[in-house]
Amino acid sequence: MNGKEEAKKRTQLLKRLREEHKDTVARTQALLKEQNAIRKQICQVMRDAPKTVPEVAEATGLPASQVLWHVTAMKKYNLVVETGMCGEYYLYRRVEETKI
Amino acid sequence: MPETSEIRRQKDSQSNPQGEEIRIGVYTCHCGGNISDVVRCEKVAKVLSEMPNVVVSRTHMAMCSDAGQAMVEEDIRERGVNRVVIGACAPSLHEQTFRRTVARAGLNPYLYYHVCLREQDSWVSGGDCEGATEKAIRLMAAGIAKARHLKALDPIRLDAKQRALVIGGGVAGLRSAWDIARRGIQVTLIEKSPFLGGRMAQLETTFPAGETARELLHDLIERVLAHPNVTVHTRAELVGVRGYVGDFHVQIRRQSRGVSDDFAQAQAEAAIAACPVEVPDEFNYGLTTRKAIYRAYPGCTPATPAIDWENCTLCGKCLQVNGQGIDLENKPETFEINVGAVVVATGFRPYEPRQGEYGYGEFPEVVTLPQLIRLLALAGESEGLEWNGHPVRNIAMIHCVGSRQIEGIHEPQPDGQVNDYCSRVCCTATLHLANELRGRFPNVNVFDVYQDIRTYGRGHEDYYTQASANMVRFLRFHAEEPPEVVPAPDGDSCPVLVKIKDYLTWGEEIEVPVDLVVLAVGIMPRPIDDLIKMLKISPGTDRFLLEVHPKLRPVETAVPGIVLAGTAQGPMNIQESCAAASAAAAKVAVLLGQGLVELEPFVARVDPERCRGSGQCVEVCCYEDAISLQTFSVNGREVQRAVVTPANCTGCGACVSACPNRAIDVQGWTLEQYEAMVDAIAADLPASEVGV
Amino acid sequence: MASDKLRVDALVVGGGIAGMQSALDLADQGYQVALVEKEASIGGKMIALSKVFPTLDCCSCITTPKMSAVAHHRNIHLLTYCEVQSIRENGGGFVAQVLKKPRYVNEDLCTGCRQCEYACPIDLPDPFDRGYGAHRAIRVPFSTAVPQIAVLDIENCLLCGKCEQVCPVSAVDFTQTPQQLEIEAGSIVLATGYEVTPRDAKKEYGGGKLPNVIDALFMERLLAPTGPYGHVLRPGDGKEPESIAYVQCAGSRDQTLGVPYCSRVCCMYAIKQAMLISGALPLADVTIYYMDIRTFGKGYEQFYQNAKAMGIEFVKGKVARITEDENQNPIVRVELIDEGSRVVERTHDLVVLSVGMLPRYNPQPLYGVPVADDGFVEVPSPNISPCVTDRPGIFVTGTAAGPMDIVDSIMTAGAAASEAAAYLRARKSASSVSTTTGKERELVYA
Ligand SMILES: Cc1cc2nc3c(=O)[nH]c(=O)nc-3n(C[C@H](O)[C@H](O)[C@H](O)COP(=O)(O)OP(=O)(O)OC[C@H]3O[C@@H](n4cnc5c(N)ncnc54)[C@H](O)[C@@H]3O)c2cc1C
Ligand SMILES: Cc1cc2nc3c(=O)[nH]c(=O)nc-3n(C[C@H](O)[C@H](O)[C@H](O)COP(=O)(O)OP(=O)(O)OC[C@H]3O[C@@H](n4cnc5c(N)ncnc54)[C@H](O)[C@@H]3O)c2cc1C
Ligand code: SF4
Repeated sequence: MNGKEEAKKRTQLLKRLREEHKDTVARTQALLKEQNAIRKQICQVMRDAPKTVPEVAEATGLPASQVLWHVTAMKKYNLVVETGMCGEYYLYRRVEETKI
Repeated sequence: MPETSEIRRQKDSQSNPQGEEIRIGVYTCHCGGNISDVVRCEKVAKVLSEMPNVVVSRTHMAMCSDAGQAMVEEDIRERGVNRVVIGACAPSLHEQTFRRTVARAGLNPYLYYHVCLREQDSWVSGGDCEGATEKAIRLMAAGIAKARHLKALDPIRLDAKQRALVIGGGVAGLRSAWDIARRGIQVTLIEKSPFLGGRMAQLETTFPAGETARELLHDLIERVLAHPNVTVHTRAELVGVRGYVGDFHVQIRRQSRGVSDDFAQAQAEAAIAACPVEVPDEFNYGLTTRKAIYRAYPGCTPATPAIDWENCTLCGKCLQVNGQGIDLENKPETFEINVGAVVVATGFRPYEPRQGEYGYGEFPEVVTLPQLIRLLALAGESEGLEWNGHPVRNIAMIHCVGSRQIEGIHEPQPDGQVNDYCSRVCCTATLHLANELRGRFPNVNVFDVYQDIRTYGRGHEDYYTQASANMVRFLRFHAEEPPEVVPAPDGDSCPVLVKIKDYLTWGEEIEVPVDLVVLAVGIMPRPIDDLIKMLKISPGTDRFLLEVHPKLRPVETAVPGIVLAGTAQGPMNIQESCAAASAAAAKVAVLLGQGLVELEPFVARVDPERCRGSGQCVEVCCYEDAISLQTFSVNGREVQRAVVTPANCTGCGACVSACPNRAIDVQGWTLEQYEAMVDAIAADLPASEVGV
Repeated sequence: MASDKLRVDALVVGGGIAGMQSALDLADQGYQVALVEKEASIGGKMIALSKVFPTLDCCSCITTPKMSAVAHHRNIHLLTYCEVQSIRENGGGFVAQVLKKPRYVNEDLCTGCRQCEYACPIDLPDPFDRGYGAHRAIRVPFSTAVPQIAVLDIENCLLCGKCEQVCPVSAVDFTQTPQQLEIEAGSIVLATGYEVTPRDAKKEYGGGKLPNVIDALFMERLLAPTGPYGHVLRPGDGKEPESIAYVQCAGSRDQTLGVPYCSRVCCMYAIKQAMLISGALPLADVTIYYMDIRTFGKGYEQFYQNAKAMGIEFVKGKVARITEDENQNPIVRVELIDEGSRVVERTHDLVVLSVGMLPRYNPQPLYGVPVADDGFVEVPSPNISPCVTDRPGIFVTGTAAGPMDIVDSIMTAGAAASEAAAYLRARKSASSVSTTTGKERELVYA
């Protein structure tokens, strides 16, 4: 089997699976959309200077716990980094090449 | 008589092929921050990477993880690493782990060296990052220096005797013996007293399931005695030990029973009745007396009575009943058996309160919890409870007597010991008894005087709930202000008062008049100093026998082949004693079940070329049969040369320092290796490597 | 790859510390063992802990080598992401039908490089971090997972195929389907472990709705070096807490929850965490609200006394209710027992519920092993035979038989191994009329 054929087969398989798992895919896609929107907002706030979680929450209007969750996720996958503290809160900065 | 050339050949077969290039892999573990929070691991790795013979130098979050180990294996397989140095936690934790890793990759496991960067560096550097980092570099450099001189070694493999010795015939010892026997290994169980069962025989109904102690025991004893792999000796004690795991020679001394086994039941009763001696009965904790020819309790095993040699006056009254079955001469015999492993199950003794502690020994109204159990058993079916000739209406039970002691508050025992541990069984045992009292004698009021109620186990909390429902009155004291037991003023309805500052009611001073005070005494190890010395095992600061590590090797002692079972190791209830005993049996099966045991090869080794037979090594060695002079013939001439018996050598190195000819070294820890390590530790670090 | 039929001496169900230790103790005796774990990695609850009492060893230092030993033992067949579906008896032994769930990753090819994880666009709450951290739809379960093999969660997958594109060894395989596996085993050891009280179990304690009221398992993650935040922060807003309170018996000794029993480990883990917090946040105040402190094990009472000496505040009191102020600081309403049941309200930055232990799995329907009123496996003769269940040949170990700590789980693991070994041997000798001498051990390994 040559590479092209294989790639085609794979695409077909994925397509079939997407059809089979229509509901979960739709749900997950909605989740991803929301996630991306939030991340965009967070990155926006962090554009100029590192920010704490309450600062981001304040600027975006999102609940602080939700901001923290996203920042934690982004930190795990190297999209933001921690840069010291401001009072009782850590500061987070987005990593330069982060694109959402 | 072997030729020296033969000895030499043996030596050569163990050394490495010459000329092999030394390629060292060096790994610095972060230990999930335990090390890397203080030591700059990346820097250490970088500095080490430039040292001679080092071909890879890496760091990892947790070297002991599968990924960390896989990294080492890959370096051995793919990059030709043939010596491995890992800087991580203490070798006691993971040296074995990494030896196995190295072996899996096809390298001799002794071409591995473990450097401790945690207990010896990061944890003790008080946050001094620079200092700790430099120290780490030096320690690792020493490790690398040693690694250059490492030689492949083979563990010492010995045949394992398919027999185990169990010391102690309490529930733990019995359970252990039964499990080992069932696993197809022969067992010899020795019990010091004339009867089996230990302390459990002195209990009646037990928590957590209300089972009757002696019925359970009887059942277990039957199974043990019926098993063809088990030999039981009562009245037997260990008097000597030689050897090592897989091959211990143990000397056992057994005293006569004085009464032969075919002594008929009816005659036994008559002989006991005939004995004029009365001594306090330890089975009833001195509440009653027994004769000098006695049974521990009705239905005990063995059923044959025994003569108590310490108290028998040899008056011969029992002989008059039936002279045939009784022999009033104690003829102790000592015999030796050969076992592969030893289980220590010597059990516990209840704490004996000091004279005057909570009125103990001062007022007859103060008894211990074990005594109360016997008291209730002796009371039988009687309607009311009596003590000391008086009816009992109010009872106070005081917890934590001889347990949870605090220095400065509690008076130390005569030997200076303070029992700062919790005895684990007394809370539930006390509440179990409180419920029994309330159930059997509804008119008796029970006051429970405690600090914390520790009914932790499965089914235990029910006893607490039930006690509350049974109207047991709880009073709570603080350790700093223990209750007091004082005589009641004349004319008071009860003989003694318990004074307590009760924190369940605003810290109010309360006086409870009672007829009986029960001290919930704690659990202490039996005095087994001789045994500890003979077996070379060690007790902990609480004086219970010490395990190697509570999670990694919970039933093993530091001496290979000697394992622990039951309350000799620490307070436990029956269930826990049995679990521990079975776990000990599993360990014995692991050790002996394969027919072979392996010992570390770190033992002295004589270079026959250099040995002049001075014998100084033999003189300084403190271990039996570890090194001796033997005669060899060299070119027809007879010479004396030192010979090591590896299994008996502990690798202590005394002989190494005594030898005038540098003919002895401890394998894996040679003088050459030490010198290289010292040089490396003391070497100047290049300027670039110190400081930031 | 495991073949679809396996014959072993013992089947161990559950790969927590108890199951792993039982498997090792049997395998070291020469028995063939199959260890079936339903999650994608072994390690159980213990691998998620920070440091462990009473020795304060870092938890991975104790657990990961055991995990690795299990994975590499030549007598152990490790089957992760598998579930036993049925059990039937066959001439004194058991036949288990096991379902191997699709990982959608070829186990032989995957190297655990995690490139797929980085490529996957969707973040999901990570149960390993009690939902407070994130993982991707495809991921290696956690950093110290064994095996280090990725697993794809098809239920939360976009099916975008990005992982498949980046995998350097083409291990991602969307064609995988559930596989059936038959295991024949002489005996079974149940080590299915425990679950903790759900955070929302108690309405009085906020019913899981107060962001700064967490459970102790999450505190373990906060204290672990691999924790989600890398620091001890409160999840409400990421603040470094200055005042932390523990509420003991939150889900144990509580008739209203139907959990009358003591969970046995919470006193010790709370004290341990309090000590670790004092190390991580030297300025923080830690208060423990308790009914009884039950530090009963070897060395435990000394541990408690050390904690007191370190300045951790122990307050005897029953917490009646937890609410919060306008800054989401939890307010604890507590009846101070030592002060004649005076009721006070105290505000903290973070409250940790010392949640109790509940049975994780009910083996009754599948294994015919009854459970007791408390939901844990019933042990008919608890004193003498703590690992023997009602059904011959099936043994139980660890927290499947009731709350216990790691030390006790390891003890009972050895005991269960002993029982299983003896059972196997008795079965063998029954079927091959032989005398019981030490020499016949060869028989056992057949
Ligand atoms: C008041 C009280 C009430 C209790 N109630 C309960 C209860 O209801 N339920 C429960 O589960 N647990 C209860 N326990 C705990 C229970 O008694 C113990 O867990 C159990 O008896 C321990 O058994 P063991 O075999 O470890 O020790 P032991 O019973 O002490 O046995 C040790 C044996 O070793 C022998 N021995 C000692 N030294 C030597 C030597 N050098 N050589 C040879 N033999 C030696 C001794 O003679 C003894 O027979 C209670 C304890 C107390 C104090
Ligand atoms: C917050 C907290 C802190 C703690 N800290 C400590 C401490 O410091 N020291 C200490 O000694 N103890 C501590 N403990 C207790 C400790 O976690 C337990 O004693 C121990 O983890 C129990 O191990 P286990 O193997 O019995 O159960 P688990 O760890 O629950 O393992 C059970 C395993 O079985 C698997 N499983 C379940 N059902 C099935 C099935 N049907 N088929 C296949 N697999 C299945 C599960 O996925 C799991 O991997 C703590 C507990 C808590 C809650
Ligand atoms: S079990 Fe209870 S009575 Fe015994 S020492 Fe411990 S706390 Fe005190």
